[in-house]
Amino acid sequence: MRFFSIFKLTIPVMMGYIPLGMAFGLLLSKMMIPWYYAFFMSTFIFAGSGQFLALTLFASQASILEIGIATFLLNLRHSFYGLSMVSTFKNFSWKKNYLIFGLTDETFALLKTSEIEERDKERVYLIITALNQSYWVIGSVIGAILGNVLPFNYKGIEFSLTALFVVLSIDLYKKSKLHKPFLIAIIIGLVGMLGFPSDKMLILSLSLAAAVLILFRRNLEDAR
Amino acid sequence: MQDSYLIAGIAVAVFATYLTRAIPFIFFAKRKPSPLIRYIEWNMPLMIMVILVFYALKDVKWNQYPFGIAELIGVSIAILVHVKFNNALLSIIISTATYMFLIQKVFV
Repeated sequence: MRFFSIFKLTIPVMMGYIPLGMAFGLLLSKMMIPWYYAFFMSTFIFAGSGQFLALTLFASQASILEIGIATFLLNLRHSFYGLSMVSTFKNFSWKKNYLIFGLTDETFALLKTSEIEERDKERVYLIITALNQSYWVIGSVIGAILGNVLPFNYKGIEFSLTALFVVLSIDLYKKSKLHKPFLIAIIIGLVGMLGFPSDKMLILSLSLAAAVLILFRRNLEDAR
Repeated sequence: MQDSYLIAGIAVAVFATYLTRAIPFIFFAKRKPSPLIRYIEWNMPLMIMVILVFYALKDVKWNQYPFGIAELIGVSIAILVHVKFNNALLSIIISTATYMFLIQKVFV
C-alpha cells in the first residue's frame, strides 16, 4: 500500500485530532502549564480523554495515586481493543509495542476497518499509528503555544472536555447492549456531583459503579 | 504548578494508559478472557463516561446565580447536535462555543 493511500485513510482522524489536540493545548496553557508539557503528554501518554482528565486532576491537585487510578479506569476500555488485536499482532516484530502503545479509540477503529494485505499489515499499521499520533502532537503543541500568544478570551474553553464526555457517552450508549448501566451511572453521577466531597467524587463514584455492575450482574443482564 | 508534581502525574498517566493497552497482550495472549471480564469491559466504559460528565460539572454552583444554566444549555446542545448529526467534533465545537458565549457575554 502506497504512503499516500495510507495518509488518505488517516484524514478523518487528522480532522479530529488537530482541533481536539489544540483544545487540549489551549486548556493546558490556560492553566499556566508550559507548552512543552503538551508535547511530552501527547508524545508519551497519547490518550485524548485521558490527557484532558489529567489536566482536570492537575487543576484540582489530585494525588498521584488518584491520577493513576482514574487514568487506568478511564482508559480501561482500551483493554478491549487490545483483546481483539492479540491474534493480529502475534506475528509482528518488536515494533508491535508501539502499536500497542498507540492503540487509541480512533487508531483502533482505523486498523479494524481498513483492508490490508496480510504481509503488508505491520508496515501499514505502524504508519497509520504514527500519522495519527503526529496529528495529535502537532495539534496540542500549536494549541499550547498559540494559547499564550493569541489575544482571545478562552474563558469557558474547558467545557470542550464536558462536551467530549457527553459525546463519548452517547456513542457508547448507542453501542451498548444493556441500557440499565447507563441509567445507574446517571444516578451515581448525580449523587456524586451533589453529595460526594468534590476531591473524592471521581474515585467514589467509579468504585460504586464497578461494585453495582459486578454485584447486580444477574439483574442487569436479565433486564435487557 | 510545580514541575515535580506535573512530571510525577504525567509519568503515572503514561504508565496507567500503557498498562490498559498492554493488559490483553500480557494476560490473554493464549487463553480466552472470562465472561466476567468481558462483561465489565463491555459495560464499564459507558458508566465511566457518564460519571465523567458529572465529574466535569461538579464545581458548578447550582444554588447561586446563574444556577448552572450555561452548563445545562451547553450539555443539551452537545446531546442534540450529536444525536442529530453524529459528528463528535461538530457537537464539541458548537456546544463549547455556545457555552463560552454564554459565560462571557450573557451571564457575566
